[in-house]
Amino acid sequence: MTSTSTSLTQAAWRAGGTGEEMIRCERVNKWFGDFQALKDIDLVIGRQEVVVVCGPSGSGKSTLIRCINRLEKYDSGMIVVDGIELSDDVRNIQEVRREVGMVFQQFNLFPHLTIMENITLAPRQVRHQSKTEADGYATELLERVKIPEQAHKYPAQLSGGQQQRVAIARALAMKPRVMLFDEPTSALDPEMIKEVLDAMVQLAESGMTMIVVTHEMAFARAVADRIVFMADGQIVEVGTPEHFFTDPQEDRTKLFLSQIL
Amino acid sequence: MSDIGVPTEEYQPPPEEEPPVRAVSPGEWVRQNLFNTWYNSVITIVLAPAIGYLIFRVLRFVFVTARWEIVEVNLTNFMVGTFPRDELWRPWTAMAVLGLVVGLGLGVTARANTEVARIRGVRIGASWHENVRRAAPALLLLVALVVFVRTATPLVLLAGVVLLAVLGYYAGRRIPPGRRRWMHLAVLLGLAVSYVVMTQFDGVSLARWGGLMLTMFLAVGGIALAFPLGVLLALGRRSSFPAVRLVSVVYIELIRGVPLIALLFMGWLILPFLLPADFPTPGRTWRALIILIAFTAAYVAEIVRGGLQSISTGQYEAAQALGLPAWKTMRLIILPQALRNVIPAMVGQFISLFKDTSLVLIIGLLDLLAVARRVTQQPDFLGQGLHAETLIFVSFIYWVGSYWMSRESQRMEKRLGLGER
Repeated sequence: MTSTSTSLTQAAWRAGGTGEEMIRCERVNKWFGDFQALKDIDLVIGRQEVVVVCGPSGSGKSTLIRCINRLEKYDSGMIVVDGIELSDDVRNIQEVRREVGMVFQQFNLFPHLTIMENITLAPRQVRHQSKTEADGYATELLERVKIPEQAHKYPAQLSGGQQQRVAIARALAMKPRVMLFDEPTSALDPEMIKEVLDAMVQLAESGMTMIVVTHEMAFARAVADRIVFMADGQIVEVGTPEHFFTDPQEDRTKLFLSQIL
Repeated sequence: MSDIGVPTEEYQPPPEEEPPVRAVSPGEWVRQNLFNTWYNSVITIVLAPAIGYLIFRVLRFVFVTARWEIVEVNLTNFMVGTFPRDELWRPWTAMAVLGLVVGLGLGVTARANTEVARIRGVRIGASWHENVRRAAPALLLLVALVVFVRTATPLVLLAGVVLLAVLGYYAGRRIPPGRRRWMHLAVLLGLAVSYVVMTQFDGVSLARWGGLMLTMFLAVGGIALAFPLGVLLALGRRSSFPAVRLVSVVYIELIRGVPLIALLFMGWLILPFLLPADFPTPGRTWRALIILIAFTAAYVAEIVRGGLQSISTGQYEAAQALGLPAWKTMRLIILPQALRNVIPAMVGQFISLFKDTSLVLIIGLLDLLAVARRVTQQPDFLGQGLHAETLIFVSFIYWVGSYWMSRESQRMEKRLGLGER
């Protein structure tokens, strides 16, 4: 390891937000066949912290957040979410998934269900809420993402930006304690990116713990508590936006920033 | 946005213009479609008289030369085979019960569909002439039956059944959305009641059912049971348990590798030897039904598997990320979409099954087609070459059923918005 390893470790282990620990990843390794997607990932994320993960494609950023709600199984190491350690036990995985909401690049709304049904499905089926209760909260969420009038349409009738905001509302309907965003604006037409980012900023301001994989550097600069830079399956650098954009330490980070800014 | 000077609020998209309507006179149409090039003109000149002559011969046969009295005399045979004539009140009662629940079910789904269609902004058969077109095959069959009936009683009873179905339909439309789930129960209850009426209380065993009644029993029973079994097999084939997967694959591949006729013979000849000695062997009709179900299920399973493969992993991941358990993900997210995607293939399989029920005649059951063969050998008609009349009549009934299924599947595709994305 390089001379910066101590500072890297410190930055990675220091939980932001309230300082209380929300997610802990310890020496997480993940292989796809012979390809090692994650190499000894250490990261602690605090309650109400917003962490932006960036890096070149194939660097393992998506894999990392997909490990946190067990869409991917990691091969060694440990991930603890809000005191629950992820194991192979199905009930344990379900418990973590109820606490962790996720927004995908491709929205992944359920095309055969109305917007309202998309949002209320999980609260009713998993949290066993009544229809009235679930519908009420869904309406509230749709107002928060500013599309209450679309409740009874189907996903295909909405624009990409609106669909992604529905996807955010759908994840929030489970009242999660952590939200994961996997490149939420990458599949959007340029004019729709802002409306989705606005919804995310609003969510961050409400105190949600968020991990966001994104290339939107303006968003990272404005909202992130810490920025994690990954390359080749490793965390290369961790720091505040100020540190990251004005005083990056690693050559790999400098190269990346020079390419995207 | 204001900083780049686009007055967003005042901007109005230009009004949409109607596409120009081009009126084509019949003469123009003929010139454009039939005589537009010299070789098309030749084809038209050669084929038009040939086709015209063929149509003329068919129409002349059906309406002039055909001796339909063989159908008129044997109408009851065509409908119920050798079912005891003094027990005919049983099928009539069963038909009344089924007419009522089917009407009820149609009414309830019609109401649900109009609501869904309103939300989606899709217009589905609401106007009366669309409804008439939808019912056209069934109406044609009714007309044919009315033409062939020689006494008043069946007409009155048939009218009663139709009336009950219509009443059920309008009652169904009035049922509020919250009570809809009782409909499934009502339909099941209707089926159970009609089965009891047919067979219990000194009723008539399945062995003596025949004609259209037997065909419908095999087709409806086959479709209703092959569908769930096929879905289970498809899921089994994708199961993470190797044993379940193996059983499903072996079953599907074995059944698909053997002709249906061979399976029917096996059900007839071999099944009794495979069962324990004191185990009551199911009757021949039941064995035929079981074979038809087993056969169709294997094909349904492969169709459903195709549908499951058409669903992106994103759908699974979204459901998992929300904490939905695997079976709820399958039932609420994956299967509804997968099945919707395979409606055309699935209905094709059901149409096949409907027509394949006619193969049961080789194990001695007297289904609709078997009746058509049998009645030409009656003393009154023997050797008079009346095969065409009987075959045309039963073919017409098969066609009505198949065409109706095909049309309904197109409606269902449209309703469920297939091809919308």
